Amino acid sequence: MVTAPVLEAKQVTMAFDAGTAREVVAFRDVSFSLKQGEILAIVGPSGCGKSTLFNVIAGLLRPTSGSVSVEGALVDGARGHIGYMLQKDLLLPWRSVLHNVTLGLEVRGSRPDEARERALSLIRRYGLGGFESARPRALSGGMRQRVAFMRTLALDPKAILLDEPFSALDFQTRLILQGDVKRIIREQRKAAILVTHDIGEAIAMSDRVLVLSQRPGTVKAIHDIELCGDTDPGALRRSPAFNAYFDTIWRQLDGHAQAAA
Amino acid sequence: MPSGCVADMGAAPAAVEPSAQPRRPSGLRRILVYQTLLVTALFGLWELLVRTNTLPVYLYGQPSGILAKAHLLLTEGDLLTHVGATAFASVVGFLLGTTLGSAVGLLMWLSKTAALVLRPVIVAINGVPKIALAPLIVVWVGVGLGAKVAIAASLTFIVALISVYQGTQEVDDDLVKLMRSLGAKPLTIWTKVIVPGATPWILSTMRLNIGFAMIGAVVGEYISSKMGLGYLIYNAGALYDLNTVFVGIFCLMALALVLDAVLGRIEARFKW
Repeated sequence: MVTAPVLEAKQVTMAFDAGTAREVVAFRDVSFSLKQGEILAIVGPSGCGKSTLFNVIAGLLRPTSGSVSVEGALVDGARGHIGYMLQKDLLLPWRSVLHNVTLGLEVRGSRPDEARERALSLIRRYGLGGFESARPRALSGGMRQRVAFMRTLALDPKAILLDEPFSALDFQTRLILQGDVKRIIREQRKAAILVTHDIGEAIAMSDRVLVLSQRPGTVKAIHDIELCGDTDPGALRRSPAFNAYFDTIWRQLDGHAQAAA
Repeated sequence: MPSGCVADMGAAPAAVEPSAQPRRPSGLRRILVYQTLLVTALFGLWELLVRTNTLPVYLYGQPSGILAKAHLLLTEGDLLTHVGATAFASVVGFLLGTTLGSAVGLLMWLSKTAALVLRPVIVAINGVPKIALAPLIVVWVGVGLGAKVAIAASLTFIVALISVYQGTQEVDDDLVKLMRSLGAKPLTIWTKVIVPGATPWILSTMRLNIGFAMIGAVVGEYISSKMGLGYLIYNAGALYDLNTVFVGIFCLMALALVLDAVLGRIEARFKW
């Protein structure tokens, strides 16, 4: 099946104070493309410009050169094509689960009954049924992140950016949520980018892992991840293929960490 | 790997929490008993000191005398009218001041410029003891109910404005960013995030402000009124009728407790 890329980055370079003596290059010539239902993980040593790259992909920062486009349209300034899932769930504590999920739809001016219907179908489909009227305070960290993810999905974005969304969760919850989010992104045919520190998470969740080098960040390697369809997070992590990927990526990151130390 | 790592983990066993928590009803009752004992002891000591002539009654009053006076004022005087007058002025002043102050405090979030321009003005007004404004208020709105309400309102207005504006600034900035990323305009962010987010500050301001409103009302009654507990206290004081002064003071305390309890109920309803 041949599909056009949903999210595409072409030779994206970001430099602060470009052209002056103080010029700092955050990253250089980063390119990738994503189709529907694909997940790309970006890993790199700290200080490699991951969060700057995130902001550029989100359209919050304009790159010095190169372009990021969603379905052929440049992202800069254009809102609504991209949804986010961040480390903080940012739920409104005074709103119920249902009304947190409808928040984006309300802002966009959707009809209340349509917003409600869409939110309810997402909530029930993805494991939050029965909690529609619960307040965030009453939910566990994992459930709160689920609600945040539903809020993002409710707006039906073409692409989703995941910025360490599981890093505040306990290990078991994290594994379960990783599996669920991966499945849902596939089902909903979204293109997703996962920025993470966690190599295991990158391998388990994505179709490709992009390794950034130490600043100025360049694409050091892109690994196509092929694990034999194992969906159990525990079994997945014990498989030889998983460990081989882990080892390779670990070495690629580690070399730079040592060079920096 | 640091060598102390493993040893540290083994050396710190989780302490077992004692599970014997006091049951709530009996705990509350115990507190109530202590409170009653404390008050009784204080009044008993007071009565004793006066009866043994350690304290002169004309300077300190006397609990039994206060009770008798309260009874007299209730049956033959117009104590309840005084209580009602003070309560009415306090509540109206409180509502006016807190509502307007909260509204201005919330609205100031919408304009950073306005907030910066108004800042020194607000600080200056806040620094002035509002009681110093009382003569002005009497000149402007006349004596009686109007002056009492105006003083109570001016006191509560500024407190509400400052703390509610502070509340809008304490709302998590990331929530505001989230709303922007969803495409929300400032007014939408204000109605959906800032106002509900600042609500706890509005509620805690209310608890504070009911006290300020009572101060305002009583000061108003001291200055220019023929009604209310402030008037009763001031008049009786001038006549060295200290038992009546204490009747007035205890009525104010009771009124404060009742109003605070009502607000406590309201506050509890808005908890998320």
